[in-house]
Amino acid sequence: MSRVLYTAANPPARSAWEAINPMRMIGELSETRYWMYLLLLPSALLITAVVLYPTLYGIQLSFREMRLNRPALGTDWVLFKHYARMLADPIFWTALRNTAVWVTSSIALEFTVGLIAALALNRNLPGTKVLAVLILVPYFLPNVVAGHMWALMLDPRLGVINDLLVKTGLLTGYKAWFADPSTAMAAAIIVEAWHSFPFFTLLIMAGLKGIPTDLYKAADIDGAGPFAQLRLITLPMLKTIIAAAVILRVIGLVNSPDLLLILTNGGPGRATQVLSLYAFQTAYKDFNFGYAGALSVVMFILLMGFAWAYIRLSKVNQD
Amino acid sequence: MTTNFSRRSVLKLGGGLLAASALLPQHAFAQAKAINYWHTFTSQSEQAGLDAVLALFKAAHPDIAVTPENIPNPEFMAKVTAAVVSGSRPSVTMVASERFKDLLAMGALIDMTDRVAKWERRKDFDDKRFESISADGKVYGVPSFAFVDWMYYRKDWFDEAGIAVPTTLAEMRDAAVKLTNPSKGRYGYGLRGGPGGQNIIINIMEAFGSPVLHADGKIGLDREKAIQAIDFYAGLLTKDHAVPPSAANDGYRQIVEGFQTGQTAMIYHHTGSYQDIASKLKPGVEFGTMAIPAGPATRVARLAYAYNTITKQEDADTAWQWIKFWGEPDAAVAFLEKTGYFPASTVAAQDKRIVGNPMYKAAADTLGFGIPQPSFPGAAGWAESSVLPNFQRVLIGQATPEQAVDEMITALAEATN
Amino acid sequence: MATLSIKGVRKSFGSVEVLKNIDIELEDGGFLVLLGPSGCGKSTLLSIIAGLEPGSGGDIVIGERNVNNVHPKDRNIAMVFQSYALYPTMAVRRNIGFGLEMRKVEAKERDAAVQRAAELLQIEHLLDRKPGQLSGGQRQRVAMGRAIVRDPDLFLFDEPLSNLDAKLRVEMRTEIKRLHDRLGTSVVYVTHDQIEAMTLGTKVAVMKGGVIQQLADPQTIYEKPANMFVAGFIGSPTMNFLAGTLEQMDGALALRHGGATLALPGLEQDAQAFIGKQVVAGIRPETFYPGQGQGTLSGTVDVVEPTGPDTMVILNVGGQLLTARLGSRGRPKLGDTMTLGVDTAAINLFDPESGNRI
Repeated sequence: MSRVLYTAANPPARSAWEAINPMRMIGELSETRYWMYLLLLPSALLITAVVLYPTLYGIQLSFREMRLNRPALGTDWVLFKHYARMLADPIFWTALRNTAVWVTSSIALEFTVGLIAALALNRNLPGTKVLAVLILVPYFLPNVVAGHMWALMLDPRLGVINDLLVKTGLLTGYKAWFADPSTAMAAAIIVEAWHSFPFFTLLIMAGLKGIPTDLYKAADIDGAGPFAQLRLITLPMLKTIIAAAVILRVIGLVNSPDLLLILTNGGPGRATQVLSLYAFQTAYKDFNFGYAGALSVVMFILLMGFAWAYIRLSKVNQD
Repeated sequence: MTTNFSRRSVLKLGGGLLAASALLPQHAFAQAKAINYWHTFTSQSEQAGLDAVLALFKAAHPDIAVTPENIPNPEFMAKVTAAVVSGSRPSVTMVASERFKDLLAMGALIDMTDRVAKWERRKDFDDKRFESISADGKVYGVPSFAFVDWMYYRKDWFDEAGIAVPTTLAEMRDAAVKLTNPSKGRYGYGLRGGPGGQNIIINIMEAFGSPVLHADGKIGLDREKAIQAIDFYAGLLTKDHAVPPSAANDGYRQIVEGFQTGQTAMIYHHTGSYQDIASKLKPGVEFGTMAIPAGPATRVARLAYAYNTITKQEDADTAWQWIKFWGEPDAAVAFLEKTGYFPASTVAAQDKRIVGNPMYKAAADTLGFGIPQPSFPGAAGWAESSVLPNFQRVLIGQATPEQAVDEMITALAEATN
Repeated sequence: MATLSIKGVRKSFGSVEVLKNIDIELEDGGFLVLLGPSGCGKSTLLSIIAGLEPGSGGDIVIGERNVNNVHPKDRNIAMVFQSYALYPTMAVRRNIGFGLEMRKVEAKERDAAVQRAAELLQIEHLLDRKPGQLSGGQRQRVAMGRAIVRDPDLFLFDEPLSNLDAKLRVEMRTEIKRLHDRLGTSVVYVTHDQIEAMTLGTKVAVMKGGVIQQLADPQTIYEKPANMFVAGFIGSPTMNFLAGTLEQMDGALALRHGGATLALPGLEQDAQAFIGKQVVAGIRPETFYPGQGQGTLSGTVDVVEPTGPDTMVILNVGGQLLTARLGSRGRPKLGDTMTLGVDTAAINLFDPESGNRI
């Protein structure tokens, strides 16, 4: 047997198998710059399939006629017909105004309660660990369950809340909270805040853990009282977390009609009609998917605009 | 010794099995026959009724497994639409008559004309029973039970006040006003101004002479008469104060609880809630049943049917067994006894268990003069997203009857243009 | 500027007593160093002085005022933290002026004070940056700026240099000393670093287990440690401990250790009572010198560690290892027998039973 010396100039001949060995081919490909794109391909495909396609489909829907229960009308392009109708649709404007009230009030309340709860739980007093779990319970309840629960508690005949208010003398008689336009929205907002404030509590508590206690000691010595410490130290340091939480909640509140669907179904009259509920009803009660698509596109644009403006205004991207 | 199968021999064997299975009698694969049934039963009594029918079916057809799936009524159309669009249809779907045209238009339903024509129990049913589930001479479902509209009233209160059972809407209003006593927490009428109330509002408008769907097929409201109707009906709250102030948010649960707990003297519903009411109040003593009172123009007492429809071609044969079983008198009476829903079959309705019960007299009478619900594509959507909220606006004082009716007319034109 | 009196201060967490009856008096303008290993209670004591933690007993008096029930902000103190505790969201200018801002000092006056402090610490160019953009040493200066800007009665430093690298630490140590000399404000300074204690303090309290082991000026602590703990804790390399029997020899005392005898002429302590008993002699490495002396020890060379200016020789004397700090010339070889003289006047004798200085 003769020994062969392989060098770079004299490499061993490739066997037939080597030429088609998939492992060798992958290995060589992994050395090229195309490898990066190849690795990104699966996630790019996934995003295209589950995010991009439905979004684009929804947008094109808004420019078409699409009424499931009127197949005779066809599915032709109608350009801006739905958008033009929207401008003249008083329900759209009512829903837009209600959405603004619904979202801003709910978030203001959720944030305030969530912050107070987080600050209280962050004090590490005995029992706070148990309380921290209990306080999250509302958030674990599905919207549907929370909605039905509160609908019962606020019931004008059997509701425990009316009972308590009458017994404590705050009310003279049982009140139909969701039948009165002046209280329906407020009652729904309170239910929503009850359901979602733990979301803020959870995130703010995580943020508070990251603030060194030395800062508060320094502030004590510097003469900052509890309120000044909250305003000048805690809140600025939670800015990023709060901004993220608010954006997530705004998106959630603008997009999901379920709680209002259960509590008021937009009523009484149109007192609690919001855009998401209107789009839902337009699609699934009137089967007008074209107009519902246009409503959704407007919600999408409003949300994008909000998120952009909010991030800029809150200067989260700085430092 | 080991057997050495070649690929060829395995293929041969497999092919042989397939061929053999085609020749085997159907019942050899009985266990494989399974269908699912989408329904909107929600109350405990309805659930009990369904269970009773399922048990009878199981005894009669041990080879068919029916999986009932509850679809909450508010989400029903969204779920069915999604199922049709995505191709994940249920085998059998329960369809309320006012939804028929929408579902037919979107292609959810399968033609059952031939099956129904050859059905041995077809003669048990009046031809009219199929009107609300037929289009262009084709039949798309079989009535499973009836929604017979009627009213419940507090017999003890009426007796105490010496008031006769009303037969017209005007008398009903007078009775409601007389029986209202806020100091006792009593109101004359439990008005359903929340979810589901839209159909009653449409009925009242028709009773005042403004039908939505005219005999010649034209769709439209008579503005003046509709305004009178809304003024009368909302006026029970806004002018007469004979209705609980929560009316604008009161749905089925609220009006039934209000009646059960002694808050209201009359409520407007159908026979399906009979067992629920009877579970809290004593029939014939504390409460009675009466036919829907007549309006100035006509008496509008709806006689609607729940239909079972085939919604998936592949399961059609098995589905048909389940659908026609609801027409058996034993199944229909078992369902009635658990719920109060009337049988759709004339033969079953003659059953002595029904005829012999005076509490059912109002319903039996209504079978004579009851009329079907108007159904046209967009009807349900218009009723829910325009009639109800606009009526609520009148209830809460944010609109006049004129404004509400004008908006209803505009929305109706948009929904049907 | 003010005096500080700590009178009988105690602190317990549940059943654990972390401070036992602490008494310290600090003169006006003095520099008190609380020195000890971690867990000795020095930081807790500082927190009690600052008012950040309540004591379980005793009094803190700043100047003439008992501040037991006075809020930290009203004690007129300033504190520099180990972590610096700068407010990350505020620029340096606002960080330094924060205490004044909270005390409602007018903006103009505040800016002037911040400017003065910044000049003193040479950080004027950093005033508009955020803490996140500063190096460790710069943050340290800002933290000190925040302390001095209010001209408090008392500065409290909690291990301020331990997060810095060795070179910066020396620099900042000098800076702190310069500042103290210049401002003359009383200081309480917590550290576990004996060099900082020796260089900075006018008074050092060596603590262990919640008890002050010795409270004295640095010189005394070094030369006359109150017990073996203090003796071992101060000085690097650490003090040698040579155990033996104390004997009377030729009219003077001597320590018999194994076969060897170390004469102790010129011993400052009165150790007559310990004649014939076991004692421990504490000998600082630098008190050795090559050749014969008043007292002499011989042994074999075990390890030689040249450090540049000095050479550390570890000598095996009758089985016990002693470290000697010798000049850089004349390096002994391993295994050589070596004879060293001792400056016996610098020797401290300890009672091995109590560990206390005789």
